[in-house]
Amino acid sequence: MISTTADAICFEPAGLIPFPLAWSWQQQLQQRLLADPSGPDALLLLEHQPCYTLGRGADEAFLGFDPADPPAPLFRIDRGGEVTHHCPGQLVLYPVLNLQRHGADLHWYLRELEGVVIDLLAELGLRGERIEGLTGVWLEGRKLAAIGVGARRWISQHGLALNVEADLAGFAQVVPCGIADRPVGRLLDWRPELTAAALRPRLLQCFSERFGLQLRPPTPQETLQGW
Amino acid sequence: MPALSSTMTEGKIVEWLKKPGDKVERGESVLVVESDKADMDVESFNEGYLAAVLMPAGGTAPVGETIGLIVETQAEIADVQAKAPSGGAPAAAPAPVAAPAAAAPAALAAPAPAPAPVVAAPVAVAAAPAPVSNGRVVASPRAKKLASQHGVALETLRGSGPHGRIQAEDVERALGLTVAVPRVAEGAGPAAVAAAGNGDAAPAPAPAGDAFGRPGESVSFNTLQNAVNRNMLASLEVPCFRVGYTITTTKLDAFYKQVKSKGVTMTALLAKAVGVVLARHPQVNAATSPDGAAMAYPAAVNVAVAVAMEDGGLITPVLANADKTDIYSLARNWADLVSRARSKQLQPDEYSTGTFTLSNLGMFGVDRFDAILPPGTGAILAVAASRPTVVAGKDGSMRVANQMQVNLTCDHRVIYGAHAAAFLKDLAQLIETNPESLAI
Repeated sequence: MISTTADAICFEPAGLIPFPLAWSWQQQLQQRLLADPSGPDALLLLEHQPCYTLGRGADEAFLGFDPADPPAPLFRIDRGGEVTHHCPGQLVLYPVLNLQRHGADLHWYLRELEGVVIDLLAELGLRGERIEGLTGVWLEGRKLAAIGVGARRWISQHGLALNVEADLAGFAQVVPCGIADRPVGRLLDWRPELTAAALRPRLLQCFSERFGLQLRPPTPQETLQGW
Repeated sequence: MPALSSTMTEGKIVEWLKKPGDKVERGESVLVVESDKADMDVESFNEGYLAAVLMPAGGTAPVGETIGLIVETQAEIADVQAKAPSGGAPAAAPAPVAAPAAAAPAALAAPAPAPAPVVAAPVAVAAAPAPVSNGRVVASPRAKKLASQHGVALETLRGSGPHGRIQAEDVERALGLTVAVPRVAEGAGPAAVAAAGNGDAAPAPAPAGDAFGRPGESVSFNTLQNAVNRNMLASLEVPCFRVGYTITTTKLDAFYKQVKSKGVTMTALLAKAVGVVLARHPQVNAATSPDGAAMAYPAAVNVAVAVAMEDGGLITPVLANADKTDIYSLARNWADLVSRARSKQLQPDEYSTGTFTLSNLGMFGVDRFDAILPPGTGAILAVAASRPTVVAGKDGSMRVANQMQVNLTCDHRVIYGAHAAAFLKDLAQLIETNPESLAI
């Protein structure tokens, strides 16, 4: 009987978070786990102000604008994958986990992140799909959730972005994830009554179950700088 | 190119964080590798200098390919750069520097699929010539043999053994063939072997049994080993006792032969037998409650079976409702659980919900052993090998029958000697007289 009472600190900042702030929070959490790999995993759930991010190896050819003059702030960040767009109405989940405790397998981790969204969609009576070679979660040919992660010594950063009630116009100015022939979608178009706020606890629940982590709020010692 | 996933076959180099000539600290990130939508910083396991980049940023290399070379001293950088062709595999690089080949100084049992990802440390250390004090070269017999096979001058090597004795590993290192493959993990267990090229090197002497470290080393417990350790220590708080029984398995063995072709395994049969008997002996399926105040009777009979993991530690995948599930489904479920356990893809409820545990070392020919009680359960059954034995009957007759010893470890707070004995007697009776009923 292996003990599985692991817990994870869940941070849920209110409002719209500028990308650099959320990134610095992830880096703080990653540093803590690098310093103490046996410390608790952590999770950020938030919505971003409009922005674009590029993976470390991303191709600027997928931008529909001049990188020197972007329509919203543009960041090149330490994750895998091509360009993506964040905006209000999109739930962003950033797990900072010691992946040594979760299989130490990056592909498997990506599949599990997809699984979290697929579980959530199933609860809503929708059948989300994986498409081999196109990481993310797809619903009837549209990409609902984008996924990109980065790791140092198996401590993860970045994660998944699920379009709930987002205005998809910002995606039109890029080729999201470098995939030109497949459109981006949002949950609102299948379940008009849904709001991002209402979906938050259900997304956390799906994450908690799939990763076997008990989510809890941070203790006073665990608060983040810039919070 | 490190393997960041069991399903990764190749990786893309996103960025070299170090330039040739740069100093590299142990544990410092040297490059970033991307596979699918995941990036990973890859660290050096040795201190030294990045001498050559063999696969530039933007390039893709198969897992295990040498993508760069790290040397010990600055002096060796120019040497390596002169000999290592850039932009491709250094297959033709002359010895003694940086010719990749398969071999490792110490090997874990099987180089094959290591369950945890491994990183081929892109490190080929060229040994610096060091003068030997009295002019006499001291080398191990194996080192001498290897050196003569590969045309290495022993005088040019610096020995890492006692008093500078040259070891086989030193020769291999000089040949550039020892890419011992530490795992990305901090405090990870064994170094596994990665075949990096044409294996014309003599295989390293592998120990007969599994070991996680080399002689003289001390190796940190990995996460799973630590978890198992905690659980074992917790069981010291439990007042345990043990009861043994010898079970004749001639009929069970015959029945197994009949159903083997239908995919039924001995593990499935034993789990089913134990499950059926546990359903009739709920006291042996019970456990002390976590607060120690009550006897907890589980709603189901879930038989966990201990499986050793290749990289250390063990896990106990659970055959849920073993009493009510048919042996064919049990066998299928078991195969699925084991394969997913090996790839670390079990969900917590698949290894933490056992109500009774089986530990079987019969396949090694072990004739008896006892097991440590997993916390949260009341009993564990240690099953030894079934062997032909001369058996005396009550009437003085003699015959040869297959017999195995089983040994039940129990939490005495819940299970008393009489409970254990009655359970074992019933289990023996089922296995000895009516194993066919397991198929129903």
